Amino acid sequence: MQVTVIDYGAGNLASVANALYLAGAEPEVAATPEQLAGAERIVLPGVGAAGHAIARLRAGGMAEALDDARKRGTPILGICLGLQLMAQRIEEYGSHEGLGWVPGRVGPIEDAVAVPCRVPHTGWSAVTPTERASVMIGTGNKDRFVYFCHSNCLTTDAAIVAATVDLGTPITAAIRHENLFAVQFHPEKSQQAGARLLQAFLEWTP
Amino acid sequence: MAQPWEGEGDAPPLALTLPSLRAGSLPLPHVGEGQAAGFVKGLMPVHRIIPSLLLRGGRLVKGTAFAAHRDAGAPASTARAHNAQGADELIVLDIDAGREGRGPNLEAFAAIGNEIQIPMTAGGAIASVESARAVMAAGADKICVTSTALDRPELLTELAEHFGRQAVVLGIDITGEDGDARLHDHRNGTTARDGDWLAWMTEGVGRGAGEIRLMAVDREGSRRGFDLDLFAKARAVVNVPIILEGGAGTLDHLGQAMAAGADSLALGTMLVFSDNNLVKLKRVLAQAGHPMRP
Repeated sequence: MQVTVIDYGAGNLASVANALYLAGAEPEVAATPEQLAGAERIVLPGVGAAGHAIARLRAGGMAEALDDARKRGTPILGICLGLQLMAQRIEEYGSHEGLGWVPGRVGPIEDAVAVPCRVPHTGWSAVTPTERASVMIGTGNKDRFVYFCHSNCLTTDAAIVAATVDLGTPITAAIRHENLFAVQFHPEKSQQAGARLLQAFLEWTP
Repeated sequence: MAQPWEGEGDAPPLALTLPSLRAGSLPLPHVGEGQAAGFVKGLMPVHRIIPSLLLRGGRLVKGTAFAAHRDAGAPASTARAHNAQGADELIVLDIDAGREGRGPNLEAFAAIGNEIQIPMTAGGAIASVESARAVMAAGADKICVTSTALDRPELLTELAEHFGRQAVVLGIDITGEDGDARLHDHRNGTTARDGDWLAWMTEGVGRGAGEIRLMAVDREGSRRGFDLDLFAKARAVVNVPIILEGGAGTLDHLGQAMAAGADSLALGTMLVFSDNNLVKLKRVLAQAGHPMRP
């Protein structure tokens, strides 16, 4: 199974490619827009701050190529920052215009929760999948514990939320919208729970 | 009616848009405990057990109070075992990089990264965004800076602006105990910043550190238990996650630390030179009621 991982200088590319390989895929890394032309599936990873990331995506023409792939119906998996970049607006070290693929905005966890919680949200938490998660996230205890490492989260239309994570207040853990699936956590760092999700993405027909 | 994400500054909590999810939530086994030790009311991730690996000359070593290092195995095979046994994360530090005036051992980080599907925090004389980027590319998920942040505190802000603050771990090395705990610089064995570790930790978080690795140097390798007084002092002044390290020797030490609110514990000697393994440790801690990953 061919899958293209986007290299835009913001991420743990090696970890993501390695986990996809273990999930049965043949990952290819794309650093230029031309390399996206024949992509069957795309993974948009990301560890980083949004401002630098979105600037790099736009500077190389990658943002446009990704948008073309999205419109063609190519399944795209966003991971962590990769989810956040899909939003309309991102508030982190300034205010940045996102890719605008999904409604909503990304802001500090502190602004999204009703009671104070530990921030950054770092560690293994259980997600609660909605019916939108479909086969992507299992409901067994082992499938629900995944690794998070983030300071910001997406506030969006409840209709596209595929899973939440409860920090006292539930916040967005995963979304599904058209041919996009995106997770706030790190499947590539979540052992069997993450491998299950990556395998499901590789077989997913939006 | 305005949508919740359309507000300028004060987006209402997502909970307002998700009442059905809240009502239908599956039972959560990790309702935060140890909250009395902090000022947090929300739910917490489950507790973390984090093997701490020290790199020297391409091998792993373990020491006592930052000295008397003994060989502790090959990095890749050790990491593979920890991954298989359910470690929640790894810390990997190249302990000679600073003293030897070189960058960290990227090959060793990559060899470890290839073996694990859990997060890796890596450190060792990371003094710039470029160096951190190389470490991330080698497979690290978070960057740990200790002495390089003392040299140049702005580094914390630069790293946070590039990688997000959740990826920036500030190492705090402490010698002495009780009223005599002092901030320590391992490169020359001296006291740093007049010893005021609480002030430095608070400043570091303000500058961009998103996690603390709190190391009781005198306890390293001693197996006499964690310094819970140190932890309580740290927990009272910062809201970021704290990884406590130094002194783990028995299961009781782990349970006591968790009961005191130290939810993320780094283990070195305890895993290397004994018959403890992570599967057993985590099972016993879970049976004792500490929230662990299933």
